[in-house]
Amino acid sequence: MPEPMPLVARDAIADIITRWAPHGRAGLLPCLQEVQEITGWLNPEVCKQVSDGLRVPLADIYGVISFYSLLYDRPVGQVIIRVCDDVPCYLNGSQDVLAALEARLDIRAGETTPDGKVTLEVHPCLGRCERAPFVMVNEEEHGPVTPDNVSALIPDT
Amino acid sequence: METPILLHRISRIDPTCLADYEAEGGFKALRRALMLRPERIVEMVKASGLVGRGGAAFPTGVKWEGAARQPVAPKYVVCNADESEPGTFKDRVLMEGDPFAIVEAMTICGYAIGAEKGYIYVRGEYPLAYTRLAHAVEEARKAGYLGASILGSDFSFDIELRRGAGAYVCGEETALFESIEGKRGQPRQKPPFPTEAGLFGKPTVINNVETFANIPWIVRNGPEWFRSIGPAGAPGPKLFCVSGAVNRPGVYEAPMSITLRELIERAGGVKDGRRIQAVLVGGAAGAFVGPDALDVEMSFEGLRQVGAPLGSGAVMVIDDRADMWEVLLRIARFFAHESCGKCYPCQLGTQRQWEILQRMRQGQGQPGDRARLEDLWATMIDASICGLGQTAGSAIRSGLALMGG
Amino acid sequence: MRITIDGQTIDVAPETTILEAAEQLGIHIPRLCYHPHLTANALCRLCVVEWEGARTLVPACVARVREGAVIHTNSERVRRARRTILELLYSAVDLSEAPELAAYAEELGVDPERFAGGERREFPVFDDNAFYVRDYNKCVLCWRCVQACADDLQFTYALTLSGRGFHTRVDTFFHAPMPETTCVFCGNCVAVCPTDALEAKVEFLVEEGVPVREAIWQRRHGEG
Repeated sequence: MPEPMPLVARDAIADIITRWAPHGRAGLLPCLQEVQEITGWLNPEVCKQVSDGLRVPLADIYGVISFYSLLYDRPVGQVIIRVCDDVPCYLNGSQDVLAALEARLDIRAGETTPDGKVTLEVHPCLGRCERAPFVMVNEEEHGPVTPDNVSALIPDT
Repeated sequence: METPILLHRISRIDPTCLADYEAEGGFKALRRALMLRPERIVEMVKASGLVGRGGAAFPTGVKWEGAARQPVAPKYVVCNADESEPGTFKDRVLMEGDPFAIVEAMTICGYAIGAEKGYIYVRGEYPLAYTRLAHAVEEARKAGYLGASILGSDFSFDIELRRGAGAYVCGEETALFESIEGKRGQPRQKPPFPTEAGLFGKPTVINNVETFANIPWIVRNGPEWFRSIGPAGAPGPKLFCVSGAVNRPGVYEAPMSITLRELIERAGGVKDGRRIQAVLVGGAAGAFVGPDALDVEMSFEGLRQVGAPLGSGAVMVIDDRADMWEVLLRIARFFAHESCGKCYPCQLGTQRQWEILQRMRQGQGQPGDRARLEDLWATMIDASICGLGQTAGSAIRSGLALMGG
Repeated sequence: MRITIDGQTIDVAPETTILEAAEQLGIHIPRLCYHPHLTANALCRLCVVEWEGARTLVPACVARVREGAVIHTNSERVRRARRTILELLYSAVDLSEAPELAAYAEELGVDPERFAGGERREFPVFDDNAFYVRDYNKCVLCWRCVQACADDLQFTYALTLSGRGFHTRVDTFFHAPMPETTCVFCGNCVAVCPTDALEAKVEFLVEEGVPVREAIWQRRHGEG
């Protein structure tokens, strides 16, 4: 059983949907993005609310969520650590940074810590090639990162 | 070193301060534009010889003219700020450091083509750029640079922001429209081109961030001034993103007469004094050149002679320590991961390209693999819907050639 | 408009597609995703042709003719693209019930095993309703069912595409079984499926070896 959603969150979601409803389908992406900031991932229940509010078919909403890698159709950690593994980051040691994070968190890339706090992802390119190897912790930017200082990236839990 | 133009204000002004932008010449171009007829602006942009800086190098003025001629309303101005070509980060630097310039340029474009609404589609992984642009739009609106009757004229224009959600393909203009429309970012078959049927099916000018950044300068200083910069066939300033094994990776502005060697020297030369093994020009959609090509001019024509596109202006330096196989596998994985899945050549071809490369790297290549790759490349180039599939084999092919394969 | 297709000149109305113009000359251009009653998306790219002067090949199902166009529907360049696309398709999907594709493959000299050994698109067979089964091992992602379910025919919107790239698939909201979706079991999706990935339940049961009468009974009353 999922935990029931706090009332404040429910109100905030309703507000978001009301605000984007006049845009109809063109409001779908920003609406989903804002809802996800509250819910962490786009569960079927909030999708149904978005569907009703914006008049977008449920199936289409799922099609959209599953297309974009920053929208999640499954639970993820409160903190998402994204390690860039593009060519410039690779050339500057992204593999060692990733290995250090995997060891420190005791999970593999693509997994979430058992307490549900942290998800570790390999990202194909974060566009910070001048700060390679680069890591994003939610919206915080870190780079260049070394394997020795990865502990500083992991929020206290 | 020449005085920078596009980077002129970067790190010199507070990007959140409209007064700073105005003190450095900001919104003078818009004031000037509003005193001219819209057709005159289009003529200036055409005469400047500016071509798109996102990768396709299409003449900007021709695009504007195409949309301006459409006798329908509404029309849209879209800023493609979904910079996601690997090795490319110039647009981010512009958006974070000089966001008002984008707002000013789009407004000028709106006036020139007769549009009242603009969208900026910012890459999802660029939260700071989004915040800075959102702030700039709000400040500009308060100051009367956006909204109804701009600066007392009868021209109205406003801008909305959208965030990308993690899809490289949305940098393709028609996929970007689909995304703004709330759909999966799958490219459309062209024609029709955006100037005829773009966002919401309406005439649309879509330009890259760096392309727009040139506009206020052209309007203020004139097309002749713009053409006086750089080689004849490639006028204007250009931003280059130098990364990989160099001492000072970053964005460098130069006319396109600069050579690859000079660019790498400006970035502090190769790290740890190593030798260059290869340079990837134009990003993952670009091509590798070898150390023998360092004296190439970084213009469209110069690069064409060594078989590379200028693309987005990305320059990734690979030193002799790097394992080229790992580099190529990353590029192949990237395209397999980012293919939208709509057209068969790309949906299936990017996956098979990655698999074949993996087995070749493990020494388990099969007889005929080379011919398989050749057929994949030819088919992806010839039959894919969009530029993603058409370029998905380019770096791999040139990389294998450099490795003697 | 006067155009030339494979050396034959013909006058056609403006807005005619290359596919239609070729048809008027009795030239059949291979196609897969195209269906005369559905939106053409030009996504399978089997119908690509060579248009003199164009940088890339052009999809005949949507490309409209222009005065003076010179088109080759079966040049070696065209055949190479078609052959490779079919070889790629065979390497990912079960095409055993797609006789049209088999005919194209034979004509083009396709080796169905050429790209074998890589990942295939494999799914369990979804047998979750009384009317049809969904065997996405055979799905070529032509989009016909999705479009028939949505704006092209039924306005039911039970189906979508999910994922992307090689891992794109036809799907429902969070993979819901059909009876839990908006599906009204109109059968339009089954009718437009070119590869029998969607198949009427009775047909499916008969193919599985169930006697016809028994199959009809099962379809009406359920298995148990």
